[in-house]
Amino acid sequence: MKVLLKLTDISVYAGDTCLLEPISLTLKQNVPLTILGQTGSGKSLLAQAIMGLLPNGLTSTGTIELFGKEMTLKERQSLWGSKLVMLPQEPWNALDPLMKGVEQVKEVYQYVQNKTPQESLRLSMDDLRNVGLSGSEYKRPDQLSGGMAQRLAISAATAGGANFILADEPTKGLDVSRRDDVVRLLQSRSAAGGLLTITHDVAIARQLGGDLMVMKAGCLVEQGVAEQILRNPQADYTQALIEAEPKTWIDAEPVSKESHDEILIVNQLSLKRGGRILFEGLSFTIRKGEVVGVVGDSGCGKSSLGDALLNLLPFTNGTISRLNHEAKPHQWLKLYQDPPSAFSASVSLGQLLNDLVRLHRIDVQRIQPLMRRLKLPKGILERNCLEVSGGELQRFAILRSLLLDPVFLFADEPTSRLDPITAKEVTELLVELANETGCAVLLVSHDPDLIRKTCDQVISL
Amino acid sequence: MKTLIFKRLVQLVGVIWGVGTLTFVLMRSLPGDMAYRIAASRYGQDNVDSQAAALVREELQLDQGALSAYKDWLLDLLQFRLGDSLVSGEPVIETVQHMLGHSLLLSFAGLALSIAIAVPIGLLSASKGKMVDSALMGFSSLIRAMPVFVIGVLLLLLFALHWNWFPVAGFGTPAHLVLPALTLGLSLAAVSNRVVRDSAKRVFGSSFYLFSRVKGLSKWTTFKRHGIRNIAVPVVAFLGIQLVSMIEGIVMIESLFSWPGIGHGLAHAIFARDIPVIQGAALVMGILFVFLNTLVDLLCHWIDPRGVAES
Repeated sequence: MKVLLKLTDISVYAGDTCLLEPISLTLKQNVPLTILGQTGSGKSLLAQAIMGLLPNGLTSTGTIELFGKEMTLKERQSLWGSKLVMLPQEPWNALDPLMKGVEQVKEVYQYVQNKTPQESLRLSMDDLRNVGLSGSEYKRPDQLSGGMAQRLAISAATAGGANFILADEPTKGLDVSRRDDVVRLLQSRSAAGGLLTITHDVAIARQLGGDLMVMKAGCLVEQGVAEQILRNPQADYTQALIEAEPKTWIDAEPVSKESHDEILIVNQLSLKRGGRILFEGLSFTIRKGEVVGVVGDSGCGKSSLGDALLNLLPFTNGTISRLNHEAKPHQWLKLYQDPPSAFSASVSLGQLLNDLVRLHRIDVQRIQPLMRRLKLPKGILERNCLEVSGGELQRFAILRSLLLDPVFLFADEPTSRLDPITAKEVTELLVELANETGCAVLLVSHDPDLIRKTCDQVISL
Repeated sequence: MKTLIFKRLVQLVGVIWGVGTLTFVLMRSLPGDMAYRIAASRYGQDNVDSQAAALVREELQLDQGALSAYKDWLLDLLQFRLGDSLVSGEPVIETVQHMLGHSLLLSFAGLALSIAIAVPIGLLSASKGKMVDSALMGFSSLIRAMPVFVIGVLLLLLFALHWNWFPVAGFGTPAHLVLPALTLGLSLAAVSNRVVRDSAKRVFGSSFYLFSRVKGLSKWTTFKRHGIRNIAVPVVAFLGIQLVSMIEGIVMIESLFSWPGIGHGLAHAIFARDIPVIQGAALVMGILFVFLNTLVDLLCHWIDPRGVAES
């Protein structure tokens, strides 16, 4: 079997700080290799180092052998598109926002493969049809859903003929059915070539098969055949990653909350957006301390429902009655999907917290115990929202909400951008808090397992 | 698109009426006897007496009441009759055309020069290292900090008086256009090159720009295909704002180089109380602003069509 990629002692440094411990690996033709690990474990740096895409200020050491030949940075860059390609993490950002979808594929045929414009257009139209994008060829990326954008990005990336693909978190933020599509597409595109996937999602590792490397904080924990490792993990860390999958969570004990006070009654609610009916005649009751899950495919109106309950979005028909009249408007809160977008990066988190304390005259004594409870280190207050991890920031967002004594918290896919271990922690935390403080939580997720295992009541859209 | 153009047409009618009425009211409320000022402009400051003023008053019916004068003016306006200059006796439309033509020539020449200066400098700042960027930033601030007439005088001293390459003032030949246009271009480019730089920096650092390279496109193809258009979005909007505010703002440059443009002409008409010319000029400028704004909006929409389908 031909060896496509051989890394010997690759490590990445920022100045003197080692960000990625020396790592060696071999990737053979037709055997996909998956690197599994938590966010911040240096996985993405590895892919960037292979491509020759490390950000300024970072240096890598060690040797990289591609297609049986040791290659310099320049030589690797000359392979981009035609032999070697890396898929973007966030397809929306990786596609030119002003260019029609088919053009972004066509240009690769035209400029990398030197085909005529007509031929290029025909090939790109075929490609898009094959990935189920017919009818959307002339749409701009902002008119596509996340899954569609990812399929477009994969088509564009592989149009140059490269069949050695590096995929860095290729399914971030996609729901389960979309995720499976993308994985299948990756497999077909790398057939007879190589596939190196970097992910925190155990399900993807299982689906791809092949070889598996588990990494933690820049170090290799375990290595071998994917199937064996996932069935019989040796390292505690691998075990923890597998257990963090919602599928394996212990079922929540259904606690009857019938006796609790009702805080919200929704009757025959209908919602329309952009001329399209999202849902009609929806009725339910939310009680104090209840965790209510909302599931459904992407675009079915899960987030819109939550926004409507918070009066952030006008609804078409029906009534929403709030029964808790003592609660102030700021006690009906929302937890956002993408934590960094819910914070200002220009001041420190401590400053943001102080502003909140001053505005609402919050007792400062409450902050320390809560921070301990949420496992937030004290130093976090001196940093801004881009300098902390996604999990820490989401826990800080929870801290911020809790200080306001919420009666209702709408958590909009709060864990979809977090790795499984952190996601599990955050979800468990929300459930505990609902039980302790009596705050009702509306939990939106694209993972039906997660909802089934945690919620007292489930609304399917 | 259609609604935009329709909205702008309605706006245009409002602008014409509003600008006309406002100049009418303002000019009527200026202190001093209008007949005297007009006579002074016609015959010279030393040759004016009460008799000349009385003649002017009678000829131009200046003692008619404000309301009836307004009614006459409005009726004329509805028939697109702007009247004759009180001073020179020439039709206002011709005077304004002459002035506006020169102003537009100067503005567009200045804008074209500023683009020719700002785009390469902005791109250079964005793509080269910190040293080049800071140096160009300092230079831009220096130019920006100088009042525009100082730049003009410096250019005059250097190119007209010292080297005798270009005429000092006046108009008529392309050589006359060079110095005023360069002055204008430099002062505009001092700001717009920073807009180009910021926009280019954002695009060069974006994921889609990098992804285009990863897809296999060369540096140059990536710039052509994904750079230019994305960089242009804020730049075009900014140039549009610059152009619109420039047409009235170039009076300084017009005066310095004795350029017979609309800013220069309007100032003179105000001193002379040449009301029809003031009204005509203000009106045409109002129309021009609406027209240019619409043009810039359409151009921006053509470059970046996002977010329109929903509204």
